[in-house]
Amino acid sequence: MEEKLIKITKRDQPSKAIFFLTPVLAIFLTLVAGGLIFYVLGFKPFEALKFFFIVPIADMYGFSELLLKATPLCLIAIGLSFCFKSNNWNIGAEGQLTFGAIVSGGVALLFYEQEGFYILPIVILAGAIGGMLYASIPAILKTYFNTNEILVSLMLVYVSKLILDYLVVGPWSNPEGFNFPETRQFSDSARLPLLFEGLRIHAGIFLALAAVVMSWFVFYKTYLGFQMKVSGFSLKTAKYAGYKGKKMIILVFLISGACAGLAGVGEITGPIGQLHREVSPDYGFTAIIVAFLGRLHPVGIIFASLVVAITYLGAETAQIFMQIPKYTGQVFQGMILFFLLASDYLLFFKFKFIGSKK
Amino acid sequence: MNTNLKISNVTKIYPGCIANDNVSLEFNSGKIYALLGENGAGKSTLVKILSGVIIPDEGSIYLNKNNLKLNSPLDAKKNDIGMVFQHFNLFETLSVFENLIIDSDEQRESLREKIEEIMRKYNFSIDLDIPVLNLSAGQKQKVEIIRCLIRNPKVLIMDEPTSVLTEQETSELFLSLKKFSEEGILIIYITHKLKEVMQLCDEVAVMRRGKLVSVSQIKNENLESLATKMVGQNLKTIKKKKASTSSDQLINITNLNFISEDPFETNLSDINFSVNRGECLGIAGISGNGQSELFQVLSGEILSDKNSIEFNKNYIGDLNPQERREYMVAFSPEDRLEQAAVPQMKIFENVALNNFKSSNFFNNGLINEKKIREHSKKIISDFNVNTDNIDLKSQFLSGGNLQKLIMGRELITSPDLLICFNPTWGLDVGAINYIHETLVNINEQNKSIILISTDTDELLKLSDKISVIHKGKLSKIMNSDEVTSEKLGILMGGGEID
Repeated sequence: MEEKLIKITKRDQPSKAIFFLTPVLAIFLTLVAGGLIFYVLGFKPFEALKFFFIVPIADMYGFSELLLKATPLCLIAIGLSFCFKSNNWNIGAEGQLTFGAIVSGGVALLFYEQEGFYILPIVILAGAIGGMLYASIPAILKTYFNTNEILVSLMLVYVSKLILDYLVVGPWSNPEGFNFPETRQFSDSARLPLLFEGLRIHAGIFLALAAVVMSWFVFYKTYLGFQMKVSGFSLKTAKYAGYKGKKMIILVFLISGACAGLAGVGEITGPIGQLHREVSPDYGFTAIIVAFLGRLHPVGIIFASLVVAITYLGAETAQIFMQIPKYTGQVFQGMILFFLLASDYLLFFKFKFIGSKK
Repeated sequence: MNTNLKISNVTKIYPGCIANDNVSLEFNSGKIYALLGENGAGKSTLVKILSGVIIPDEGSIYLNKNNLKLNSPLDAKKNDIGMVFQHFNLFETLSVFENLIIDSDEQRESLREKIEEIMRKYNFSIDLDIPVLNLSAGQKQKVEIIRCLIRNPKVLIMDEPTSVLTEQETSELFLSLKKFSEEGILIIYITHKLKEVMQLCDEVAVMRRGKLVSVSQIKNENLESLATKMVGQNLKTIKKKKASTSSDQLINITNLNFISEDPFETNLSDINFSVNRGECLGIAGISGNGQSELFQVLSGEILSDKNSIEFNKNYIGDLNPQERREYMVAFSPEDRLEQAAVPQMKIFENVALNNFKSSNFFNNGLINEKKIREHSKKIISDFNVNTDNIDLKSQFLSGGNLQKLIMGRELITSPDLLICFNPTWGLDVGAINYIHETLVNINEQNKSIILISTDTDELLKLSDKISVIHKGKLSKIMNSDEVTSEKLGILMGGGEID
């Protein structure tokens, strides 16, 4: 007597429809599980979810805040998609963001009393270069010394945060700042312009959109993108075709570092206008989730960054209105990734429901 | 005691293909049975069903009239069905003895005695205490066979066992198999090599496209009749014209060395040879003797001293594969799915992997998709690739079609030299025939070939000159009409001839 109700069989090929549906499924499951968690914690699930996901973006200000948070996530995730598509596991975007912020902040401080149209481009460029420099460390160690890029890039995150800490407390701290751990305010010429009166959304969003277009173009239209694609699928094939594998690894890390560095620029030269201890609420780590939720596709990443950005806003609103701890935001981000990975099982296996059999 | 194995109305359907279509077969001990068929004919599926790896959709298996429920390989073992797969399942770094006892719960001492007794009985001499990685392919296979014999199997299934063996090892294997058969073990021998069937077996079952097409006595068959049954049509015979005695040297390798940092790779030492225009140089050898390294050095995946490779009066030893292609050299590596092509990419994208400057696949760094598509269509029609959809992912091509695509990609620019490594490995007779024909044509157009292969018949058929690689060293180069497969076998095993 054997009873089988569900039969799990391997798919012959991953289903394309499911490839794009699983992120949606993951978000749905996250909402369900989130509702359950709220319920267990003693909150009304639907009300909590409303405060988490709808109230924060119900007005123009909220919507601008959403774009503000989504901008760095999108930018970094686009950069990471270059790495992840070619099997380079850069986990240290947070560090590259921080170091980009340090370099561009340093340059902005150099110009703190000056005005001029040329200052902002230099500051932006400095941020990109800072991110690239920092990303080149794991890349070079990986290509020439066979180190594991996951460990190196991850550990360098903490190094960059300590450097930032040292600078804002020590040499770069504002002389008139009563020993607060922050630098002087940058001059207006070193600031990314705000787009609308009274809203915090700034010109950094154009950097993110430019990155989206650039990555789409590179991936789908250029020889470089083709080589990355091949190297990502099989290094053996790339070698056989005669592509320069090491250069490719360094290049994707540089692109990824530049994007993270630019996200850092956006954080300090946008609404804040100075360097301080907390330049990023872990955008660099969260962007990893965004990249995978967006299926490493430029357009997918735009949507994913908006979805994940809500969890940042929702956490704050829910804390203010319902006294739900704001760390629930991170719980939600974790759940999205968890459910996404879990539903990827469906890509390769399918369930067949069959009646009970004797 | 007599063993009777009966396969009754077995059907296994995969989406889009019927792997086994109502197959019924009966085997009795005392005979050696061949299961013959091209790749994709359904032999492997049937064997996997017998060994419990795959569960059939319909049908049953009876061993001595008992209906067997084979839901896992363990069930097959419990029911005294032993299986030696084409690819060895051994732990390279463990000793032979450790490998043998790994899935047994008997006492070490008694097991050791048992193993030694088996080895005495069948004249196997293998040191039980050295790591498996030091064994030759033939010895590894013996380890696998011993592993089955420990369990006193009633049925022993051998899946393409000779693909990695030398001639000598093959004849040793055949002697052992005959001995097992005399002792009452039922032997089922899976292969697509016709000669072996004629040499070894008593009865042959031929499969084609999932169906059993015939069961017959070997004494009523010959090579041609079996080939026709297997392929379902008559094959053209390929005749290679004697090479025109050209003395126009195309490639010259001098003092080529490669020392690997990887202990699992083979070092190449002091390689010297040259190939003239219109010639095919065959390089024989048992796999793992440096063929892969030699291919990579010749293709430029491993760079060497600039002067060690002279091609068409240019020194190209320090150039990468793409740069070498510009000098009109083409490469067809052994590993079709891992190296020569990316299975997840579309056919036309795979075509773009072979990128000559003059092909204009990429202009100023941009992909010229139109050009690549035109080129791909031409390859598909010129080289008989059986599809008309160049947007198909190449993983959905059969081995033969993929190899045709790769050959076509490499040859459509009519290079002066083609370097290929096991070009027909794992292909069915029809595809092999096509590839061989193509290679002969290349030579007739006064272009040259370096053919690295583990298939001696193929080498004897296609080469003008032959050398043997053993432990990273090349033997002297011989004219192929002076060479016999026995001589090659001796050299492949590391021996010397006059």
